[in-house]
Formats: sequence, structure tokens, C-alpha cells
Amino acid sequence: MKTEDLIHLLAAEPAPPPAAPLERRMTAGLCAGLAATLSLFLLAFGTRAGLGAALAQPLVLAKTVLPLALAAVAALLAFRAALPARPAGRAGRAVWAIPAVAAALFGLALVAAAPGERLTLFLGHSIPVCIPAIAILSLPIAAGLLAALRHGAPERPARAGALAGLTAGALAAAVYSTFCTEDSPLFYAVWYSTGILAAAALGALAGARILRW
Amino acid sequence: MSDRNDRWGDLLRRANRGDAAAYARFLTECVPVLRTVVRGRTVDAAEVEDIVQEVLLAVHAKRHTWRESDPVTPWLYAIARYKAVDFARRRRRGGGAPVPIDDLAEVLPGEGSGEIMAARDLARLLAGIDRRAAEIVRAVGIEGQSAGEVGARLGMSEGAVRVAYHRALARLKDMAAPGGRGG
Repeated sequence: MKTEDLIHLLAAEPAPPPAAPLERRMTAGLCAGLAATLSLFLLAFGTRAGLGAALAQPLVLAKTVLPLALAAVAALLAFRAALPARPAGRAGRAVWAIPAVAAALFGLALVAAAPGERLTLFLGHSIPVCIPAIAILSLPIAAGLLAALRHGAPERPARAGALAGLTAGALAAAVYSTFCTEDSPLFYAVWYSTGILAAAALGALAGARILRW
Repeated sequence: MSDRNDRWGDLLRRANRGDAAAYARFLTECVPVLRTVVRGRTVDAAEVEDIVQEVLLAVHAKRHTWRESDPVTPWLYAIARYKAVDFARRRRRGGGAPVPIDDLAEVLPGEGSGEIMAARDLARLLAGIDRRAAEIVRAVGIEGQSAGEVGARLGMSEGAVRVAYHRALARLKDMAAPGGRGG
């Protein structure tokens, strides 16, 4: 078919229907996924006893707030990754502040702990629960986000998927943190990050397949 | 450069609000630039026009991803780059040149030539695309009905039928590549 003919045909199609903008789809997908994740979480774990008192301690509060902050920035990055030629902007650099804070907390806790305690605190007692829990809780949110991102046009599908996974993993970690009783940064700075990165990796794999256009 | 950005931005903005003439102008003005971008990324010169048409289809499908506050040219270039790379990737996977089918009407079973698909193969390929697209291909490409008739029957505009036909052909061409997905 000749290119001019194709142009005639394309121009003859009616204007695009007022489609829901990508932001709205992503919000809807994220909320739907979060609802599913919360249900799953409450069934499987439920919040810890004395959550309020625990959250009054800054180091415990950080365990929830840091992942939430990460989720917010990652969601913005995922949105920008879904539109062609959209630069990541300052958010792309700002996101590194969160692992930096986590690393700083880890350092502080290392120094504050007695040498004998360090390994115990680092290993904790729930690694086999924590990492899979974060990864699995991230799945519904990732699914919701990926479904929305399919309406975009990401220049690098795997990267967009990874950012969706990162958002989902961070939110899942924040949810899980309300159950988890490991309060030392020696534990959570490392193992929560592992769970979150696992979710991001899953997102990248999914994105490479389903975000092509 | 920013002159062109402004002009294209204006055209595309009007196009997204239903101005068909502005849209046609926009697409027409884009084509030479797209050819240059694609040529820079394509080894086989014969494929450039095919890829340019795929870029136009992608622009058409994803025009809602352009924010009116953004410059048009980087957005356009990004789509062209993506499609050029994607085309090459699909070719590598397919393992060879796609069967040169320009229009199904020319390759109906019965016209002896080494490049033709047997009716059996065609039916198998058609089974691999969605029902509506397959029906359009059968009606327009094989039975020779006009796009208007088909559109009236399916409740689509004539233009929509033609675009769907072209897209389906592109997919069939892709699937028919030796070792390709449809096989």
C-alpha cells in the first residue's frame, strides 16, 4: 500500500474517543491492586499487636515511611517511562535519596549495636517469610499498573515494567511492615530492599513481554 | 527546528480534536523526517517504507500519549526509533525476509508462483488473527467486496475497514515469515 493512501485512511478515521488519560488508568490500576493486596495481607498476616506504639519509634516508622516514599517516586517514574520522549526529570535522581537514607540508618544501627548483637539483628528470624511476602503482595499492584501502562507507549518496555514492579514492591513492603516485628534497620534495610528489588525484577520480565506496542 | 515543532504541535493538537485535514497535513509533513530517522537505523533499504508505515500506524494508535505541553519532534522521533528497532528485532526472530505479500488479492491460491501461500496456509494464518480482522480480510481481500459494503455489514466506517484491513495484512505478513510467530 502506498504511504499517501495510508495517510488518507488514517486521517479519515474519526478523532480519538476521549480516552481516560494514563494518570487516571494508573491510579485506578494501583488502587484496585492495592485493595487486593490489602485483602491478601489481612487474611495472611494482619497488623502486629501494638502497632501504634511501635510506630511512635522513629526507626520503626521509617520501616513504613521509606517504602511509601519510594513507591510515590517510582510511580511517577513509571508514568514518565510510559510516554515517548518523557524525561525522568529530577525524580530520576531524587529516587536515590531513599536507598541512601536506608543505608545511613543501617550504618547508624551497626554502630549503635553491640558487636555480639549485630549478626543476630541482621539475620532476624523471618527472612524466609519477609522476602516472599513482599514479592507476592506486590503482584496484584504490579498487575494493575502493568494493565494501565499497556495504554501508554514505553520506549523501553522492560524498564517501564521494572518501575511498575518497583512501585508495587515498595507499596507491598510498606503494607507488610505493619505486621513485621523486626525493628532493626540492620534487618529491614537489607531484606526489605531485597524483596522490593525482586518485585522490580519480576516487573521487568513482565514488562518486556506485555508492554510492547 | 522550533518553528517546525510549533507548526506540528498546532496540527496535532487540532487533529486530536477532530480536524481531519490538520491530521492529514501533519502525517504528510512527518513522512520525510520519519524516513530519515528510519533509514539511519535500517540495514535493508527496501524495508524503510514498510517501517515508516508502521510508524504512522503507531503514531495513529498512540497519539493520545502526546501531551500538548510537550514538543512534538522528540515524541515523534522516539516512536520512530522504537518501531525501527522493534522491526529489526522481529526480523531477527523470524529468521528471514518476510514473504513479500503486497496485497492479498495478488496472491490468491490459483495464481501459480513460488511465493504464494497455499489456501490451507492462508486459512491457518487467518485463524491466528482475531475474528473480525479475519472476516475483513476474507471479505475485502478474497471475496472482493468493497470496504463500504463490509463496513455497512459490520457497523464500521469505510475508513475503519480499510485501516483494519491494512493492519491485518501487516500482521499476516509478519506471521508468514519463515519461522515467524504464526507458523
